[in-house]
Amino acid sequence: MSALRPGAAPRWGNAMTSSAVRRTATRTLLATTLVASIALTGCAKSEDDGANDKNTGSTGDSGQVVATPAAGNAETCTVEKFGGKKLDLKSATVGFSQSEKEANPFRIAETASIKAEAGNRGVKLLTANAQSQFSKQISDVQDLIAKGADLLVIAPLNSDGWGPVLRGAAAKHIPIVTIDRKINATACKDYVSFIGSDFVEQGKRAADQMIEATGGKGKVAILLGAAGNNVTTERTKGFKDQIKAKAPGLQVVFEQTGEFAREKGQQVTEQLIQSNPGITGIYAENDEMGLGAVNALKGAGKKAGDVKIVTIDGTRNAVQGIVDGWIDGVIESNPRFGPLAFQTLDTFTKGEKVSQNIVIQDSAYTGKNAKSGLGKAY
Amino acid sequence: MTDLALRRAPADRERMLGLLQDYGVYAGVTVLILANIAFTPHFVSAENFRTQAVQVAPVLIVALGMALAIGSEGVDLSVGSVMALATSLVSLYLGYGPWIALIVAMLGGAAVGLASGSLIAHIGVQPIVATLALMVAVRGIALVMLPQLKDVRDPGMATLGSGDLLGIPYLVLIAAALALLVGFTVRRTTFGRQLLAIGDSRPAAQLAGLPVRRVLILVYICSGVLAAIAGVLATARLQASDPTSLGNLMELSAITAVVVGGTPLSGGRIRVGGTVAGAVLIQLLTATLIKHDLPPSWTQIAQAVVIVLAVYAARERGKR
Repeated sequence: MSALRPGAAPRWGNAMTSSAVRRTATRTLLATTLVASIALTGCAKSEDDGANDKNTGSTGDSGQVVATPAAGNAETCTVEKFGGKKLDLKSATVGFSQSEKEANPFRIAETASIKAEAGNRGVKLLTANAQSQFSKQISDVQDLIAKGADLLVIAPLNSDGWGPVLRGAAAKHIPIVTIDRKINATACKDYVSFIGSDFVEQGKRAADQMIEATGGKGKVAILLGAAGNNVTTERTKGFKDQIKAKAPGLQVVFEQTGEFAREKGQQVTEQLIQSNPGITGIYAENDEMGLGAVNALKGAGKKAGDVKIVTIDGTRNAVQGIVDGWIDGVIESNPRFGPLAFQTLDTFTKGEKVSQNIVIQDSAYTGKNAKSGLGKAY
Repeated sequence: MTDLALRRAPADRERMLGLLQDYGVYAGVTVLILANIAFTPHFVSAENFRTQAVQVAPVLIVALGMALAIGSEGVDLSVGSVMALATSLVSLYLGYGPWIALIVAMLGGAAVGLASGSLIAHIGVQPIVATLALMVAVRGIALVMLPQLKDVRDPGMATLGSGDLLGIPYLVLIAAALALLVGFTVRRTTFGRQLLAIGDSRPAAQLAGLPVRRVLILVYICSGVLAAIAGVLATARLQASDPTSLGNLMELSAITAVVVGGTPLSGGRIRVGGTVAGAVLIQLLTATLIKHDLPPSWTQIAQAVVIVLAVYAARERGKR
């Protein structure tokens, strides 16, 4: 490498022009910013302006239903057991810490549902978004507590690493409800309860739909979610266990990650259908990868129904895919935690007992109910 | 006699490493193709070659811009974010038709290139730092413009993404045309020679009176525009704008393609043919492992081995 420092050379040579240089540079930067901001604010015109009819979670009939209710058999939690005092939810401040950017339908619907329910109940809500950075989520939660949150709803990014925050919250007897992912801590001591889906169960139900669509015979491929994620491992386990138990004629011949993204799902499926032209079905661990698989099948000249596709999530695009005939089944993972989370907090703060583990009942879409269910999809 | 042998040995080794750097990538591609023909079922088919070519096209186009940046002794880390910006802009401007959307996206890429080029050429910020800053900022801007995935329904975009001319997909034709264009630019134009001279030694280029700043800014504008084109093509193929994940880690794939293709990181030399082969090599490597259903982590390990080999060849050769 050269010993001289490039870039510094001209300025030694000519001190006079250095301010002129800086001025040009500043001007260039200004011009760039200007161009960028014109592009930003200017005269954008997207394909279907005005056709933005996505309803995000506030509709009443689409809230969650509890699968394992608070009734006697399950472990419960009360204010006395947790430590702390009763309060009236209406006059309380609730802090909500979201884990990921609201850039995918699930997170959008989840946050919207929490906000809508807080609005319905007239509860003061503070929100924070960790943008997929765990360290930020920790400080988000600490900020929420510092800002005076009496109760917390947390959608955790990770299961581990919550020690310091929970100790801080426990010292102040702040009840915490975690939604969609569980944290590794003691229920009713470090937090009150967990509300979420059973991902293993989702995998099993996806397997049931795959068995029905394929008649229980043939070769199936799995588009895995992101590696090292409990959603991926649990949805995979449930699917494989169920296939093994119920349909020995179905063979899992291919497992590759599509990283929960449509583009990656498309690319992997393109490779798959060339190396395994006889593939019967594709199980995608989220809707986006399933939609990528549909792209790949279309590109390869296949027809709707040639390869059976089952996905998990229940986004509108995927349910539309069933209506169009490309997708055979979608297992819902209901993101509308608002009503159930606030109901749990309400019950708890009144002094009544709530379940420590509230598993929600996810619905499913098939050819029979896809058209009517389209309005319910998020 | 022993004396002679000893003296000759390093020269032979040197020549070997030089050959490995210059032609290793072609040998790698050949070996992978032969191994796949032998061991991968259904590998020899028009559809399969089409798939590999279509998948590699966006990576290749980004790598061409990266080769220019690396040839000027720089690097452009913002390329993945520029792809995301392009996909957001396409979505926002598609109402005017695909051509306008394409032009707006390319202007967006050029603006990012102008910004990083200005930081590097005028203010003297290191390329890796300047483009790192833009990588972060531009991804943010892309997400402000379009916060979530949005479907693209324009028929023109669909044709661009999946159509073909005489059996060759548009994506592949465009990538090939751009590779020829960049190859021509590097070898036959004044800009190309000036760029290589600057990459070789910026102080010397300055002393020789070359328009160093203008050339450097132009290099990053080229890289930005190429990345934007890649972003538009990827959008057309996906039939959706997805600024959250489009272009993630693209800078690494592009740098790998360039370095594996024999372009030294120390600048002054650009191997366009090698870059094409480098991109194809990585694509084939990934495809081979996927087709044999090996764990995805293996792809990463295999890529790392290829990179280390390539950089080793380049480093040992440059030691002299």
